[in-house]
Amino acid sequence: MRSHNNTLWRLEPQYGRSEGANNAQWLKEEECSGMSPGGGNKAVAQPLTLESRACCDSHLTTQDHRLLQHLLRMAAYPKSHNPFADDDDDGDAETEGPRKGFNVDPEEGAMSPAERRQRQLEKQVMRTAQSAVDSSFRSLGLIYESEKIGTETAEELVRQGEAIERTKRMLDNMDQDMKTSQKHINSIKSVWGGLVNYFRGKPEPSPPQKEQSTPYQANSRLQNVLEESKEHAGKYEASHPNLRKLDTSGFGVSASFGNDSDQNGYPKNRYLRAAHQQMDDNLDEMSLGLSRLKNLGLGLQSEIDDQDVSLDSLTDKIDSLDGKISSTNRQIKHLK
Amino acid sequence: MDGSGREREAWALTAEADKKMKTLGSLFGTFFGSSSKAEEACDMYVRAANMFKMAKNWHAAGDAFRKAAKLRLRMQSKHDAAVHFIDAGNAYKKTDPQEAIQCLTRAIDIYTDMGRFTIAAKHHISVAEIYESELVDIDKAVAHYEQAADYYKGEESTSAANKCLLKVATYAAQLEQYQKAIEIYEQVGTYCMDTTLLKYGAKDHFFRAALCHFCVDMLNAKVTVVLMNDVLTLAVQRYEEMFPAFSDARECKLIKKLLDAHEEQDVAAYTDAVKEFDSITRLDQWQTTMLLRIKKTIKEEDESDLR
Repeated sequence: MRSHNNTLWRLEPQYGRSEGANNAQWLKEEECSGMSPGGGNKAVAQPLTLESRACCDSHLTTQDHRLLQHLLRMAAYPKSHNPFADDDDDGDAETEGPRKGFNVDPEEGAMSPAERRQRQLEKQVMRTAQSAVDSSFRSLGLIYESEKIGTETAEELVRQGEAIERTKRMLDNMDQDMKTSQKHINSIKSVWGGLVNYFRGKPEPSPPQKEQSTPYQANSRLQNVLEESKEHAGKYEASHPNLRKLDTSGFGVSASFGNDSDQNGYPKNRYLRAAHQQMDDNLDEMSLGLSRLKNLGLGLQSEIDDQDVSLDSLTDKIDSLDGKISSTNRQIKHLK
Repeated sequence: MDGSGREREAWALTAEADKKMKTLGSLFGTFFGSSSKAEEACDMYVRAANMFKMAKNWHAAGDAFRKAAKLRLRMQSKHDAAVHFIDAGNAYKKTDPQEAIQCLTRAIDIYTDMGRFTIAAKHHISVAEIYESELVDIDKAVAHYEQAADYYKGEESTSAANKCLLKVATYAAQLEQYQKAIEIYEQVGTYCMDTTLLKYGAKDHFFRAALCHFCVDMLNAKVTVVLMNDVLTLAVQRYEEMFPAFSDARECKLIKKLLDAHEEQDVAAYTDAVKEFDSITRLDQWQTTMLLRIKKTIKEEDESDLR
């Protein structure tokens, strides 16, 4: 994502540059390839004129090449069609019509080639910015989905842990019963055995199992998560509702809000600034989400480790019990 | 060919076992010497039932298992009887839900008698699922889920109990028993937020509780808009106090936006907020239904105000 920002900034210097042959060629190359960087853009960049098409085989600098590759990647990004969302492009205020295609401007013919190129570049920049914002929204959605799956897994794990504990308790009970039956067998086998039993007395009950309320240790890492989320609560209450409103009401209100933001590195164009700001917010949310996911993952891991240990001890108990049962069976058969 | 061959074998076995049973009719049959005959008959029934299962004749398999179970009951081995009833229930599940429920209920009775509540709870869930899917009798399904949850709670398996309770709450809300749903969601949410591993899911529970609060106020149509929102705002504040991470979550912000939209009776704002939330995280069926209900009430109040 950050590299994408750099790409956009690289466009800026080219913006104001006097047109060299390089510039013109690059632009026409853009038009030729007819790329539409993904997102909600409904239009495809149409090659304007025959002459532009003819320039397709011009040389490119490595910089332009990289930009090309990047825009190609954006175009290849699969669009998740969301039936609820209206993919309305908030249009440039500079042009009358929506940003649907850049070949229908009435003023086009009147402008000089330089201005035309400038406008096309602007539109290109806006499109790329928009697609970046959209893809960041998608990533955010994916993160939340992963979180949901993680929570469900966590619940299943907890249930499984409880089941394992239950099984352990039952195995202990079985062990007790086996001891009792062994005693009985001893007394049946021989009189001497019965006497021995009398002197041995009742077998002590196994040490009381601790009650299973929440059997999972409060991992220090996990406790920290709770602290963190409490900290963040205040911060985000303040910042988020404003920014959310900004998103839904469109780019038009960005002027008032632009003062608060850090001007460093942000492009002068207020629409671009709004898009970048939105993307930065999304990235912040994404990083939060990812940290939550990480902690969830760590919690799951510690849980699974605990259950692993439990399962091992369970296996041992079952094996020993198995041996006892088979020996008891043999003894009973001998009794007959 | 293989299937029908098996079936014929199975019928033959059943007939043989029946004959054996007839000879045990007298009191003598219960004595030591002949109990082996009963056991043999049982085994034959079970084998026959398994063969029916292989031949996919579920009804006959269920019958055979049931006969085996009844025999075991006579021989006073309740545990085995219960096991056979469960097998019968599973076989019937595929063809005849009513019979399946009968068998499962008998098994549940035996288990509760023996004090094995966990496994009884597990089978209550199976019965509830049958009611949910095949017979579509939501009330009975809810009753069974509740019973299962109670048993699990008694056995200190809180997670499993919570799973059942959540289902109860979902159906309760759908049937407009909002108060019950709210209690359950709050209870489960409070429990989850203390657990290190489950607290990530707690916000979901509070969100659902808040949605139900929304709907509750809807029902009391005489209540004014302002009062309604106060109750809901108080509830949301309470959740935030209890569980700080909730206020950070997008769900909480959605609730607040919906609250505002509702105060201003603004359907468009409501729809926008929902759309925006849905664009990042899809809303599931239940949540969509609740939100639609709330939206309808906004529209209605809108119209009644205009009149």
